[in-house]
Amino acid sequence: MSTSTMEKNDTATMARQRSDIYGFLAMVYRQEVTSDFLEQIKDPRFLGVLSDLEIQFDDDFLLKPEKELLEDLAVEYARLFLGPGRHISPHESIHHEKDNSKWGQLWGDSTVEVKKFIEATGLEYQPDYKGLPDHISVELEFMQQLTLREEQAWDDADTEGADSCRNIEKKFIEEHLIPWVSAFCEKIMQEAELPFYRDLAALTRKFIEFEQDEINR
Amino acid sequence: MQKITRRGLMKLGIASGAILTTGGMFKTNALAGSIKLEAGGKDFSPATGTERKMIPSACWNCVTRDAMIGFVEDGRLVKLEGQPNSIRGLGKICAKGAAGINQLYDPDRVLYPMKRAGKRGEGKWKRISWDEALTELGGRLKKLRDEGHPEKFMFHYGRMKGSSSKIVGIFLDAYGTGTKGNHTSICEGGKWTAQELTWGKHYDNWDFDNTKYILNFGSNVLSAHTNHIPTSQRLVSAMVERGVKMVTFDVRLSNTAARSTEWVPVKPGQDGAVVLAMCREIMNAGLYDKDFFKFIKATENPDATTDEKVAAIKAHLAQYTPEWAEKISGVPAAKIKSIALEFAKAKPAVVISYRGAVAHYNGNDTERAVQMLAAITGNIDNPGGRVRPAGNKWKSPKGPENKPKSKKLNLADGFKGQAAYPTHHINHQILKVIKDGKAGRPDIYMWYCYTPVYANGECQENIDILKDENLMPYNVCINAYYDESAALADLILPNPSYLEWWDWEDHVSPKQIPEYYIRQPFVKPLGESRDFKDVVCDLAERMGFPLGFKTAEEFVKVSCDTTPGIKEAGGFEYMKANGVWHDPKAKPKYFGYKKEVKADALKEEGVILDEATGVYWNWKKSTAKSEAEAKEMGYTKTKNALKGYVGQKIGDMVYEGFKPDGVNKSGYFELFSELLKIKNFPALPTYVPIPEHEKMGPKDLVLTTYKVSVQIHSRSTNCKWLTEMYHDNPAKINPISANPLGIKTGDAIKVKSQIGEIKTTAEVTEEVIPGIVAISHHLGHWEYGRYASGNKAPMAGDDDPDLKHKWWDSYGVHPNWIIPNSPDPINGQQRWMDTVVQVTKA
Repeated sequence: MSTSTMEKNDTATMARQRSDIYGFLAMVYRQEVTSDFLEQIKDPRFLGVLSDLEIQFDDDFLLKPEKELLEDLAVEYARLFLGPGRHISPHESIHHEKDNSKWGQLWGDSTVEVKKFIEATGLEYQPDYKGLPDHISVELEFMQQLTLREEQAWDDADTEGADSCRNIEKKFIEEHLIPWVSAFCEKIMQEAELPFYRDLAALTRKFIEFEQDEINR
Repeated sequence: MQKITRRGLMKLGIASGAILTTGGMFKTNALAGSIKLEAGGKDFSPATGTERKMIPSACWNCVTRDAMIGFVEDGRLVKLEGQPNSIRGLGKICAKGAAGINQLYDPDRVLYPMKRAGKRGEGKWKRISWDEALTELGGRLKKLRDEGHPEKFMFHYGRMKGSSSKIVGIFLDAYGTGTKGNHTSICEGGKWTAQELTWGKHYDNWDFDNTKYILNFGSNVLSAHTNHIPTSQRLVSAMVERGVKMVTFDVRLSNTAARSTEWVPVKPGQDGAVVLAMCREIMNAGLYDKDFFKFIKATENPDATTDEKVAAIKAHLAQYTPEWAEKISGVPAAKIKSIALEFAKAKPAVVISYRGAVAHYNGNDTERAVQMLAAITGNIDNPGGRVRPAGNKWKSPKGPENKPKSKKLNLADGFKGQAAYPTHHINHQILKVIKDGKAGRPDIYMWYCYTPVYANGECQENIDILKDENLMPYNVCINAYYDESAALADLILPNPSYLEWWDWEDHVSPKQIPEYYIRQPFVKPLGESRDFKDVVCDLAERMGFPLGFKTAEEFVKVSCDTTPGIKEAGGFEYMKANGVWHDPKAKPKYFGYKKEVKADALKEEGVILDEATGVYWNWKKSTAKSEAEAKEMGYTKTKNALKGYVGQKIGDMVYEGFKPDGVNKSGYFELFSELLKIKNFPALPTYVPIPEHEKMGPKDLVLTTYKVSVQIHSRSTNCKWLTEMYHDNPAKINPISANPLGIKTGDAIKVKSQIGEIKTTAEVTEEVIPGIVAISHHLGHWEYGRYASGNKAPMAGDDDPDLKHKWWDSYGVHPNWIIPNSPDPINGQQRWMDTVVQVTKA
C-alpha cells in the first residue's frame, strides 16, 4: 500500500480494501493454487494478518516442499470443487435455494440472473473464460471490480457514482452472495481435509458477513 | 474464527492488496471491460439487471406532443418519461403520455389489413395481405386519377402534424386531390380565426414564466390544453414560486378553477360580456397602454391618431357597463370592475381563453374581445403577456417537381354562407354536405387518426351517412384500433401506434425559442401494421409518381441532415441519440411587430401601397392579373393578397406589424375589422346573444362538455391505465337546478335535446353553476376494444394478462349523440357549449 492511499479519505480506502479482499478470495477459488500465489500467501506478513484473524495453517503447509504442497492442494481442490464423484460445485445455481425456480442444477435461473446482472453493469465475460457465469470466483471478482469502481468514484469526488456503486454492490450481495456463500463455505469447512481450504472458507464466510453489515451501514 | 472487525478488514485488505499487486495474478480474470454508471439508463438497468435501452422520442397521445424518452427492456417498451433536455417539457409528461404504452400493447389493436366480409357495419371481416389491400386501393385511386377526377378521393384526418402532414400532403398534392378535411372546427378552430382577424397567424402562447397576473376565460389548462405540460407546469411554477394570482371564469369548478386564486362562476356563453365590460372599465380609468395603441386599428381610417382610436374604442364600449354585464353573465358588477383594474395595473399580465369561452355562437367575438383586453393593456407579444409563438423552420424534401394542378370538391367549408371566414374549415359539417350532394361526393372517403362517427356531434346521423353505400361508396380507415368509425369501413389499413413510427416535430415552445425534436420508433411495428407515411410512398410508387423518398425514416433523416443548426449539431445521428435540439444562442422572441421593414423591400417589383389599409404588398404574389386590377380591387378584396404582404405603414414608418395569415387583414392589430364589416358583422368586438339561449324555458338547461386530466378527447379509453382511473361520467347538475326536478345523486336521468336523448345518472353537485348540465367527453364508446367499451375487436388477441384484472364494466356516456353539428356564423367553430336540453328522471 502506498502512502498516497493512506492519505485518501476513509470511504475510498475502505472500498479499496474490500476490493482487494474480494480479489484475493476470487483467486483462492478460481483454480488450483499456483506457485506464485502460494509464495505470496506464505509471506510472513500475510500469515501474520491471518493469524490475527485466528487462521493458522498447519505445519505441513508451512514445512512441506512446495512441489508436494502444491500437489496436495491441487488434489484437495479437485476433490472439493471439481470431482469426479461427489463434490461441492462452486456455482450459485446449485446452492441458492429458490421458490418456483430452477435451482440445484447447473446453469439454472440464478446463473442467468448473475450473467445478466454482471453484463448489466457494462462488464462482459472474457471470451476465453470457459467456466459458468455464476462460479464463486466470478461473483467475487465482480465484487472486486464494483468496489474498485466505487473507490474511483470517491477519488473523483463523484458521490453520486459512489452511491450508485454501493447500491449495485448491496443488490448483488443481498441477492446473490448472502443466499448461498455461507452455506457453500459451511459445506467446504465440513468436507475439507486440509486446513487451507477449510480456513479460507471460514474467512470467506466471515468476510461476507462483514459485508452484509457494512453494506447496510 | 472471530468476527471480522473494521480493523481486521483493514489489515486483511492491505495484505490482500499486496498479493494482488505482485503481478502475474490476473491472467485468469473471468471478466473484461469496465463498469458503467451513467445515469439515464444508457445501456442497462442496474436496478433490475435487465438489458435496457433508452430511446428519445415524442409523445402523440395528444396534440401537445411532448418530447419524451422511453425505456425498452428485452424488446418491450416498459416506461415513458419526459425528455429532461427539452426546453418545452422540462422533463415532464402527463398521465396520458405515460399511459401511451397502452396504445402500443392494446390487445384490441388491428394488426393486419382487413377487408369487410359482410354488410357494411355488420362486423364481419377477413384478413388480407398488404399487397392485396394496396392493389385494390391503388387500383381504385389510379382509376380516378386516370379518369381526371382525383378530387373524388377525399382524405380526412384528425391528427396530423410535423413531417406526417408534410409527407401525406406531398402525396395528396402529387396525386392531385385537394379534397381534404381536418378536425380543427371541433377543437378550437374558431379561436384561431378570431386571432387571424386580429393579429394574423394563429396560436397564442401564454408567457407564464414572466407574468404577474393571469385572467382565464374558459380554459382548463391544468387538465387539458394544446400545449398542456409545457404550459401548465409553468403556470404552476408562477403561482407557487412567485405567488402570481389567477382568476378563472368558468361555468364549472374545473381543476384549473379549483387551483386558481379565485373561481368566478359565469353563465355559459357570456364571457364576452364580462370581457367587454372589463375593457370599458380599463379604458374609462385611463389604464390603457398608449404606446401599443400605435399598432392598433380601431377605426376605418388607417391613419387615425391614438386619441382618435382611444375615443372610438371608448365610444364603442360605452354600452357595455358592468351592471349590464352582471345581468347577463351573473358576475357581480363590482367584481368585474375590481378584476379589470387589477389586471390592467399588474403589468405584465396575461389573459387566456379556450373552448369554455369560444365554442359558442358568439365565440368569435369573445376571442376578439379577449384579444382587445390584452391589446389595450399592452399585453401583446411582450414578456409575461399573450405572445405570438416562435415557430421553427424545418427543411424537408419537397416531393416530385411536377405536380398536377389539384382539383377539389368543396366539402370542408360547410354549406354556402354558413360561416363568413371558416379559415380552419367546418369539418363537423362534411358528412352533411356529402349527404346533401350539391357539392359532389367522394368515391373514396379515407380517414386517418380520426373518428368522424364519434368525434363530431349528431353521432346517429354520422353513422347513417357512413353506412349508406349510395352516399359513401368506398370507406377506407387508417387506424391501429377498431373504433366506431373503423367498424363502418370497407377496408382497414393497420397503422402502428405512434410509438412505432418516425416523425420530426415542431410544436410551440413556451420559452419563445423554437425547439426541434423527432419521434422515433421504440419497437418495430407490431403484427403487419405499417406506418401510413410509408404506405403512401408505396402507393405513389405503384401509381407511377414516386415521391422522391421511400420511407418516413428517410424523410426525417434528410430533414435532420439539411436543417440549419441540426445539421451542424450532427444531423440525423444527433437527433436519434438526443431527440431534441434548440439553438443554444437563440434569444426569446418578443415584439416582432416593432421591427422596421427595410426600404429595399418596398422597392421590389410589384410592391404597392394600399391606401385604404396602409399595407405595402406585392400584388404579383396574389391572383391579381395586373397592377391596375390589384389597385382597383385593393389589398383587402384581392384573393391571396396576404401572400404578398410586406409591411404596415404607420405614420412615416413601415413595420413588419402583425403579419396576416388566413385572411387579408392589415398589419395592424385589428380591433376594427374591415373583413368582418364587409360580411355584415360588427367591425369592433361586439356582444351577441346566443339565439337558443334567448328562448329558453324555465326548466331548460344548457349542456356543457369538458375534459378530465386523464383522458384524451376521443382516442384514449383503450388505454387501460387511464380508463381504470376514469370510466364513468355521470351528468353534473347544481342542486338549485336538480331539486325542482326531484333529481338526486345516483338517479337515472334522461337528457334530451332537439335531436335526441341519452340516458345517464345524475351527480348533484355545486361544482357546476345552476342552469347547466355538464357531461364530459371521452366516454360512452361502443367500440374501441375491451377496455373502452367491453367489446372485443375482430381478430383481437388475448395476450394482455391485465384483461383478467379489468374490474370495471361501466363505460360512461357520450354527449355528442344529442349535440347538433352547428357552426359559429363567423368562423365555423362547432358550438359544443350551446345545446339546450331538458333533464328528467328516467
